[in-house]
Amino acid sequence: MTWQKLLRHETILALLTVLALVVLASQSDKFFTLDNLLNQGRLMTEVGLIAVIMTFVIITGGIDLSVGSILGLVAVLLGVFWKNMGLPLPVAIGLGLMVGTLAGLINGLIITRFRVPPLIATLGTLALYRGIAEGISEARSVRGYPDWFFVLGQGQFWGVPVQLWILGVVTLVAAIILGTTVWGRGVYAVGHNETAARFSGLQADRIKLAIYAASGFAAALAAVIFVSRVSTTRSDMGTGIELDAITAVVLGGTSIFGGRGTIIGTILGLILIQALKNGLSLAGIKSDGTIVLIGAVLILTILLSNLFHRNGNR
Amino acid sequence: MTVLLELRGVSKSFAGIRVLKDVDFDVRPGEVHALMGENGAGKSTLIKIISGVHAPDEGGIIRIGDTQHKALSSRAAARGGIATVYQELLLFPELSVAENVFLGHAPRTRLGTLDWSLMRRQARQLLDSLDSHDLDVDAKVGTLSVANRQRVEIAKALSQNARVLIMDEPTAALADADVRRLMVVVKRLRERGVGIVYVSHKLPEVFETADRVTVLRDGALIGTHPIADVTEQSLVGMMVGRDIAQLFPKPVPNIGDVILRVKGLCFGDRVRDISFDLRRGEILGIAGLVGSGRTEMALTIFGITPATAGSIELDGRVISINSPRQARDLGIAYVPEDRGLQGLVRPMSIAQNVSMAALHRVTNGLFMRFAEEIRLAVEAIARLGIRARGPEQVVGQLSGGNQQKVVLGKWLATNPRILIMDEPTRGIDVGAKSEIHALMGKLAQEGMAIVMISSELPEVLGMADRVLVMNGGTSVATIDRAQASPETVGAAMTLATRSLEVAK
Repeated sequence: MTWQKLLRHETILALLTVLALVVLASQSDKFFTLDNLLNQGRLMTEVGLIAVIMTFVIITGGIDLSVGSILGLVAVLLGVFWKNMGLPLPVAIGLGLMVGTLAGLINGLIITRFRVPPLIATLGTLALYRGIAEGISEARSVRGYPDWFFVLGQGQFWGVPVQLWILGVVTLVAAIILGTTVWGRGVYAVGHNETAARFSGLQADRIKLAIYAASGFAAALAAVIFVSRVSTTRSDMGTGIELDAITAVVLGGTSIFGGRGTIIGTILGLILIQALKNGLSLAGIKSDGTIVLIGAVLILTILLSNLFHRNGNR
Repeated sequence: MTVLLELRGVSKSFAGIRVLKDVDFDVRPGEVHALMGENGAGKSTLIKIISGVHAPDEGGIIRIGDTQHKALSSRAAARGGIATVYQELLLFPELSVAENVFLGHAPRTRLGTLDWSLMRRQARQLLDSLDSHDLDVDAKVGTLSVANRQRVEIAKALSQNARVLIMDEPTAALADADVRRLMVVVKRLRERGVGIVYVSHKLPEVFETADRVTVLRDGALIGTHPIADVTEQSLVGMMVGRDIAQLFPKPVPNIGDVILRVKGLCFGDRVRDISFDLRRGEILGIAGLVGSGRTEMALTIFGITPATAGSIELDGRVISINSPRQARDLGIAYVPEDRGLQGLVRPMSIAQNVSMAALHRVTNGLFMRFAEEIRLAVEAIARLGIRARGPEQVVGQLSGGNQQKVVLGKWLATNPRILIMDEPTRGIDVGAKSEIHALMGKLAQEGMAIVMISSELPEVLGMADRVLVMNGGTSVATIDRAQASPETVGAAMTLATRSLEVAK
C-alpha cells in the first residue's frame, strides 16, 4: 500500500524530470543557469495556463481543442479593440478576456445543452474561431503597443518573469480548488461517472460549463501574455498550442477517460517537456529529434505508471 | 450411475488465502445441479476450476468421463465438453448470430473458406432446438435483447458439443417472461442428457428446475442434497450458516400522517396519471412487470425526468421537482436500479461515495472537511454493516451486497424523509438481502416513508404495508397488506393487462 502510494504517477514523473534536468545540465553549460531557467519559465507560461485548466477539462472526460484558436482570436481582437477602435488598452484587454471566456462558454453550451461530444464540438470551434480571427485580421499584424504593456510578457518582478508569477498564482488556485474544495470533488465524480454524479444531486452540466468557460478565459489570458511577449499581434498565434497543452496534461498522469489527474502532475509534465525542448536544442540536437523524444517519453511514462497500477479498478 | 464430471478434494488458494477447501462436486447426465452460496462462498472459483480458467491446488482430482486430471486447461475443459454461459455475455455485438455461434470453429468448404450456408443452416437448427424459432441467424447480436443473446450463448456452447453446461446467474438480468422461456430451454437441455450446473441466488428458480443442490459457504462444502430433501428455510440456513427465523423480518409498522401525495402524475406517455399517498413509517411496495413504468415513475418523482403533468404534495404543500438536487433538498432519496451506472462511482472510495449526495455536511462552505468525511463513512460502515477494509477502500472492490449498502449509506447520509428504493436487493446474496430488509423495516419504524419497487413478488409481499400495482405506465390497483397475496396481486396485474388490452 505505502510503496504503491510512493510509486504514484507524479512521483515517477518527478524522478524522470530530475533525471532529465541532470542529464541535460551535463550536456551544456548554458542549460543549468538561472537566466536560462527563468527564460524557459517565460516560454512555457502560455502553454502552462492553458494546460492547468485543460487538466480540469480532461478530468471531466472532455477535451478542448479550440484553445489555440481562442488564443488567436483574442490576440487579433486585442489589436482591433485598441488600434482600430481606439479603446484604452486596459479596456481592450478586459474585453479580450471576456470574449475568450464567452468563446469557452459557447463550447460548454454546445457540449452540455446539445450533447455534442467535446472532441467534435471543440474541433468545430477550433476551425470556427480561427476562421473568425483570420477574417477580422485580414493577415495584418498590429504593432506599436505602449511600453507598460510589455511588462506582462517581458518584465520581471523580484527577479522572476512577471508571467511566471501569474502562472504560479493560477496553478496554486487551481490546485487548491481541485484538491480541497467541494467543487473539485464534483469534478472528479463527474469525470468518473457522470450519471451517478447527477443521480447524487451534483450539477454536472454547471460544472462542465464553468470549466469550459475557464478554459476559454485561460486561453485569452495566454493570448494577452503572448502578445506582450512578442510585441505583435497575428491571427495565426497559438496554432497547435492545444496539443502541447494536452501532451503536458496527459504526461502529468491525467486519464483521458476522465476521473483521474492532478495539477501538480500537469506542472511536472510541463516542466519536463520544456526542459527537454530547451536542453536538447542547447546540446545541439535538431528540433525534429526533440519531438520524437517527447513522443517517446510520453508513451513510456504512461506505460510505466500503468505497470505499477494494475489493480484493475479504474 | 454414470457421472459426466467429478471433482474430489479440490482446493484453491489465492495469495495464501484458501478460497476453496477440499470440495467434492459431480454432475450427472440429464440433471440440473444448482450451486448456491453467498457472494464470496467460492462458487465462481469452483466454476472457474471446472472450466479450466483456474488451476486447483495440488491434491485434488478432476475426472471428466473416464479421464483423470490434476488440473484442467481451458482447452482440455472445452475438449471434455464443458461450456460456460457467463453472467456478462461474451459475444461480439457487431457480428451476426450465426457468426457468433460458430466463432473459432466455423464449418469450412473444401477450399478452406467459410461455408456460410452450412453455418447458417446449423445455427438455425441449434436455435430451433432451443425453441428460438423467432431468432434470425443473420441479425447482429448487438441488436438483440439480453434474453436472446443468452440463447445465442447457449447455442454456441451446444455447437461445441457441450455435455456439461455451466450457467452463471443466467436470470440475473432477465424479465419474468424471459425467465420462464429460459426454464423451458433448461428443461429441454436436460432431456437431451446435458448436465447443467446452475448458479443462482433465486430460490424459486432453483426449486423449479434443479434436481440436486450443492451449497458452499466460506469456501467449504456444506452439502449436496436432492432438491426434495430441502426447504427454502433450510437452504437459506445452510447458505448463511445460521437459522433465518423469518425470510422477511418485518417489525410492527408505526404508520403516521400522509407525507407525500401524488396526483395525476405524468411524464410523456411512459408515466400516465399516477396517484397515490405515502405515509410516514409506511413501506409502499410497487409491483408490476418490467416496463410497467415503475422506474420511470420513481425518476419523475426524483426529478431526473420532471413531471409533464400532475402534482406532487409534500406535507400538504404543492411542490415541483425539476432536478435530483431539488428532490434531495426536499428530503427525497432514490436508491437507483442500476447500481454501477447510477448509484455508485466505482473507482472512488467508500468515503467519497458516502459523502457524494451530502457534500454540504462535509464542508465549511468551500473547502472539504476530510476528517468529517471519513467520520461519516465510518458511521455508515458501522450502521449498515458494510464489510470493507476501511473507509478508503475503493467501492469497485466490494461485493454486490456491500456496494448496495454503500448506495444506501450515501442516501441515509442526507437524512431523507422519503426513501425510494428501486430493486433494492437485485443481484445480492441472501445474507446481505435479509440485512437490507431488516434495515428497511427499522427505518420505516423510525418514521421514514419508503417506496420499494421490486420485481420479486415475495419481497413485495413480505415487506410492504401496501402494494401499488402498476401496468402500462399507470397505477391500476392498491392492495393492503392483509389482502395482498400472490393471487390477488397477480390477479390485479393480469386483470389490468386484460382490461388495458380491451381498452386498446
